Amino acid sequence: MTRLEATRVVVAQAGEAAIIASLGHPTYDLFAAGDRPRNFYTWGSMGLASSIGLGLALARPDLRVFVVDGDGSLLMNLGSLATIGLLQPANYVLVVMDNEQYATTGGQLTPTARGADLEAAARAMRIGTAATVRTEADLAKALSAPTGPHMIVAKVEESSTALRPPLDCVAITRRFMAAIGQNEP
Amino acid sequence: MNLTHAPEWAFGVCAGAYAAGCRDVVYVPDNPLSHVLRTFEERYSEVRLILATREEEAFGIAAGLYLGGGKPAVMLQSSGLGNSLNAITSLMLPYRIPALIVVSMRGDEGEWNAAQMPMGRAVGAILDAIGIPHVTAESAETAGDAVQRAGTRAFETRVSCACLLPKRVTSESPKGSDPLGVGGVRRERT
Repeated sequence: MTRLEATRVVVAQAGEAAIIASLGHPTYDLFAAGDRPRNFYTWGSMGLASSIGLGLALARPDLRVFVVDGDGSLLMNLGSLATIGLLQPANYVLVVMDNEQYATTGGQLTPTARGADLEAAARAMRIGTAATVRTEADLAKALSAPTGPHMIVAKVEESSTALRPPLDCVAITRRFMAAIGQNEP
Repeated sequence: MNLTHAPEWAFGVCAGAYAAGCRDVVYVPDNPLSHVLRTFEERYSEVRLILATREEEAFGIAAGLYLGGGKPAVMLQSSGLGNSLNAITSLMLPYRIPALIVVSMRGDEGEWNAAQMPMGRAVGAILDAIGIPHVTAESAETAGDAVQRAGTRAFETRVSCACLLPKRVTSESPKGSDPLGVGGVRRERT
């Protein structure tokens, strides 16, 4: 499956869940797969999508939180797995779109192309249900598992889209917070 | 419960952050901040302490907390400010996601570790350069007020604001106790 196909599965399974996307291609694909007010698109802060989602999941235990991350981005903030494993947020699902490359910057290979195992890293950090999936059906099944935290490594082929979400970061914040029923304090 | 005797400045930091509305404190440990964390633990049951593995991660978590309706504080050592710059400049500032930032200073007056000096000297200039307003707790007595002002400003303006805690303030021993017998000039080896 391509990353765009996998992202469509995430959107289809999301329902009322919030989705936080890592910068670059994951953000572009989330917009292409289905723009919705409960999407939070990052345009910077590489590596932090999993942390933003974690903070949101902690603040809003009533809300399911999906994170669409990349393998390169997660490798920049692997400590995040330890924090997720420590806090065990039940409403948190981290999907790592693992295309084994830094696609946004030209396709340089990441360590996962040589066998670095993000699922094993997640298990080692106490995310016990971590799984690797290669098909849309398996991804949909993994996303519907009840109590988290979950980490799903989706092995994907690179796909590109010309679509881009709006660049207005403040508008992204405002729309997202309003959508999840959160007036700015 | 036996309450630990914390120094006055640490009580102030807790009271100031609480008064600014913070109920979540994301932190990377630091020796002086241990007094603050212990005081939160012992006296502020509604305040949630969240350990991050790195300061940049702490800002990511804080951003998510704010999106979910919280008023987060990030507490870190000045050395960790360097680890945070991309999170502050490409997430917190452009998205108008604020946090109260409490910086335990190293590399200022009283520093003994050469490795702490360059960043300690640069903290104010770096914050100025990226557009993060900051105040300094000038004494143990005024620490609470300084932290509260920074927090209130951050959440009113939706631009993070930092309160710097100088080493000369945080090296003060708790009043009435001097466990090391060095009159408050205890070295914090962190």
